[in-house]
Amino acid sequence: MQTFLDIATILLPLAYLLVAIDYGFLFFASQPFAERTATPALRGTVLLHLAYLVGAVVQWGQFPAATVPQALSVVAFAVAVVYVFVEWHGRARTTGFWLVSLVFFFQLLSTILASLLTHSTPPDREVFHKPLFALHVSLALLGYAAFVVSAAYAFLFLQLYRDLKAGRFSTFYGKLPPLEVLEKMMIGAIWVGFVTLTGAVVTGAFWAERLYHNAWMHDPKILFTLAIWALYGAALLMRRLRRWQGRQTALASLTGFGVILFSLMAVNFFLTGFHGFM
Amino acid sequence: MASDPSNPTAPPDPPLLLVGTDFRCSPLELRERVSFAKEEAEKTLVHLLARSEVAEAFLLSTCNRTELYLQPRDEDGAYKAALDMVFLARAPELERPGRLYVKRNGEAARHLMAVASGLESMVLGEPEILGQVKQASALAEAIGAEGPVLKRLLRSATSAGRRTRQETAISSGAVSIGYAIVELARQIFSGLEECRVLMVGAGEIARSVARPLLERGARELVVANRSQERAAQFKDELPSAELVPFDRRQDEAAQADLVVVSTGADEPVLTRKHIAQAMSSRRSRPLLVVDLGVPRNVEPAAGKVENVFLHTIDSLDLLIQRNLKRRRDEVPRAEEIIEQELQHFRAWFRALGAEPLIARLQKQAERIRQQELADALPRFPAETHADLERLTRSLVRKILHHPSSRLRAHEGSADDISRLELVRELFHLDDDEIG
Repeated sequence: MQTFLDIATILLPLAYLLVAIDYGFLFFASQPFAERTATPALRGTVLLHLAYLVGAVVQWGQFPAATVPQALSVVAFAVAVVYVFVEWHGRARTTGFWLVSLVFFFQLLSTILASLLTHSTPPDREVFHKPLFALHVSLALLGYAAFVVSAAYAFLFLQLYRDLKAGRFSTFYGKLPPLEVLEKMMIGAIWVGFVTLTGAVVTGAFWAERLYHNAWMHDPKILFTLAIWALYGAALLMRRLRRWQGRQTALASLTGFGVILFSLMAVNFFLTGFHGFM
Repeated sequence: MASDPSNPTAPPDPPLLLVGTDFRCSPLELRERVSFAKEEAEKTLVHLLARSEVAEAFLLSTCNRTELYLQPRDEDGAYKAALDMVFLARAPELERPGRLYVKRNGEAARHLMAVASGLESMVLGEPEILGQVKQASALAEAIGAEGPVLKRLLRSATSAGRRTRQETAISSGAVSIGYAIVELARQIFSGLEECRVLMVGAGEIARSVARPLLERGARELVVANRSQERAAQFKDELPSAELVPFDRRQDEAAQADLVVVSTGADEPVLTRKHIAQAMSSRRSRPLLVVDLGVPRNVEPAAGKVENVFLHTIDSLDLLIQRNLKRRRDEVPRAEEIIEQELQHFRAWFRALGAEPLIARLQKQAERIRQQELADALPRFPAETHADLERLTRSLVRKILHHPSSRLRAHEGSADDISRLELVRELFHLDDDEIG
């Protein structure tokens, strides 16, 4: 099993890279070859990724999110699954290049960090085996994945918005779904992320209060997560109040994405707290 | 039968003759004289077929071209008939050099495929021509003017036309003002069928823009115009339009998704303030404003309002030029498809020759013989198998001897092609079995 996990760790970013290139040919050159191969290639890679995560559960007997590389891989997987669903739903196949590129980025980061870690096995704490841990972490990572998806659509929304505003008609024009659809996808993803992250915060608070009493209030990871939660919550509220329109929401989504990256990386490596394992 | 003399192995081309004129060769006043309505086209084809020099005929007449495709029994006679009956009788000026073009055999076939693909159209890749080719083909077929060669050629041409549109971007992107607005709206809104359109101005430009918008399913169309007379004229032409007083344009802009302004006013009829107020009373839904006026009818600063997309005649022209360039870039891919279809057409014609047809007939007979023999042999003693083999072989040979001899007498004339095609159909010697 370990051999399979080692091979899959190397293979996954390579496979996502090839799939992203395939989708790139579809987006930039409308290549008939990419038209035929991109979707099956992505689905095959997602299945390999699923096998890798299942293998990790079998190997370590715990939800595969006890380390930063594992968490990044789960986020990459969740983004890929969301995109497969979006594509299957018949919308926005041309956005595949951007979404799969993000998946590749997260999986590559996961592989690089995994190779840099001194220990080859994830830490084994008692909490990792509790069902509530799996629920809490799943909700948090699903929330992050949804925000990543929203950031991708926010980026595309802004490109198209600027093109249409300036009458520029760049590469993005004519290849993306309509602006309204991009906005709906971005907002939909923010809602999914906000609801699941709320779930993660609630389960985490309930559990941390019992285990760590007030100490969790000072954990940087939690503070950053609350900041992310508040940022997206504010964006949704501002839309509700009709103060913000698509462009402002897209900018908020991209800002949130930056904070998520920082939270996933810097907080875990440079700041300490009981979330230090991931 | 014509063939490429430089390459003795090249496939022979089907005998074809094309005589035609189009927008490149002739001005409108000549083209309209050689334009054929359905009944006229029917009558002309019947008269052409009555001539002994013509075996098959197909006439394509659109506003941009008149082309006559013939499968000749005698090429010189057929050419003369084409000139006399279709072109010079109606427009003697076409006799001047450069007014008519003549193509033969493979070149004529390639030309029809290029026409059906929109490569020869005034607006590159325009989609209507494929439908016009199909209509002309249906007319020729209905009166029996299409024989096997033209029928097959038209099948290949429509296939080329369909494929170029499916497999390339030759017809993609708007290349007229009206459709450019449709394209812009589609890039902003989820669907045009959910869009309410406000037209400020009811002149000719407004009408030409309104038509494609309604054609592509715009939900509602409201017209605000100063002159009631002109507004009524608009309503006469497009009865689904709703007329509102010109003073209500600002209120209507708040309800609309797409505003098209084309008035003769010297000053803006919609200002930034108008647009900003309209936007404040609507949800976050975007607003597309198209200003077709010169001088401009919408204050340029209106484009700075959040979620408002203001386009002018210049930005639409930029879009059209971009789309035309994209279409031009697709021409080599479209030509590849045409070349493939031309090869298929040539392969069909080659297989229609007497020898290939006899070979396929013999192959089919042999396959049937072997199948029947395989079923029957187990029921007979082993010592009779060799006799049965000889008997069945001899039967097949004798049955096919006379038809084969007759087929070998094929001389390649237009009527012989029809006979060979009949044999192919009778014995179900389909193209799939070629080679």
